[in-house]
Amino acid sequence: MDHDEQLKLQAFLDGELPEGEAREAAEWVARDREAAAMLEELRHTREALAGFETGTQLPESREFFWSKVQREIQRRETPAPEPARAPLFTVLRRFLVPASALALVFAATVMVIRPAGPLGGTAGTEIETALSDSGAFTYRDYSAGTTLVWLTYPADNEDAESDEIGTLE
Amino acid sequence: MMHNEEEAIDLSQEAWVKGWQRLRQFQGESSFGTWMTRIVINLCLDQLRKHKRQRTESIEAMDEESGGVERQMPVVMVNPTAGLERGELRQRIDRALGQLSYEHRTVLVLHEFEEMEYKEIAKTMGCSIGTVMSRLFYARRKLAVLLADLKKQDSV
Repeated sequence: MDHDEQLKLQAFLDGELPEGEAREAAEWVARDREAAAMLEELRHTREALAGFETGTQLPESREFFWSKVQREIQRRETPAPEPARAPLFTVLRRFLVPASALALVFAATVMVIRPAGPLGGTAGTEIETALSDSGAFTYRDYSAGTTLVWLTYPADNEDAESDEIGTLE
Repeated sequence: MMHNEEEAIDLSQEAWVKGWQRLRQFQGESSFGTWMTRIVINLCLDQLRKHKRQRTESIEAMDEESGGVERQMPVVMVNPTAGLERGELRQRIDRALGQLSYEHRTVLVLHEFEEMEYKEIAKTMGCSIGTVMSRLFYARRKLAVLLADLKKQDSV
């Protein structure tokens, strides 16, 4: 008997064959002793299981079983606590730190691209430098190539009060 | 089906929790008992699949899946459970079921105890009807041999 025949025999036992095939199987079993023996074995196993009690005694009490189910349901239905909200400053810091960094980078870039000093200025612009410590004021006119220095006397600080007067080269 | 009492209890509790959570999905197309049984079976199958993934694949396991030696086993001519008392029968079947692979045991349980048809089992287990038939056949054959062996052992 091949495997397909074995399965057909089982399907016949389980009532899974269509009417025509079931009739053929019945005739086959009636004339084939091997098939009849196989069918008998399968039937014995099925009958043995039919008498098998599936109910079982729990090792824990009925109340305990249901209380565990109840606790689990309550646990799952209780919403998880939300994580504590961060203070406003912390939230702002998240944005302020990168913004500050960007601003610094921008400022540094501007300084590199536009260097301070005479060459960075526009030709012909008058630049005034106030030196309060020495009591001196300087005016430079690059377009005219002129530098003019005013010295106040007496000076406000000690250095300026000395007798030595600086000269321009 | 699980053949592990502790695991079976855990899964049955989980089934009730899931049943409660999905109660709104129960449309009344089948009885509440059938609906709950389906949840239990699905949970058991998920768990058994996890076990299978953890289990090391072996030639023996592959052989068991496809039938293996059961194909060549001689037919058990005598009813191995004839004349047994209910308690004794239960004990023997329990021991024999424990020796089946989970695929064979599951098909057997679903067919014999849950009275599912081949088509229904195939749908539940996610396999073909042919596989269900094959597994059921080998499960029955192996069980017959195991029960016959137990009978021999007890009579010695």
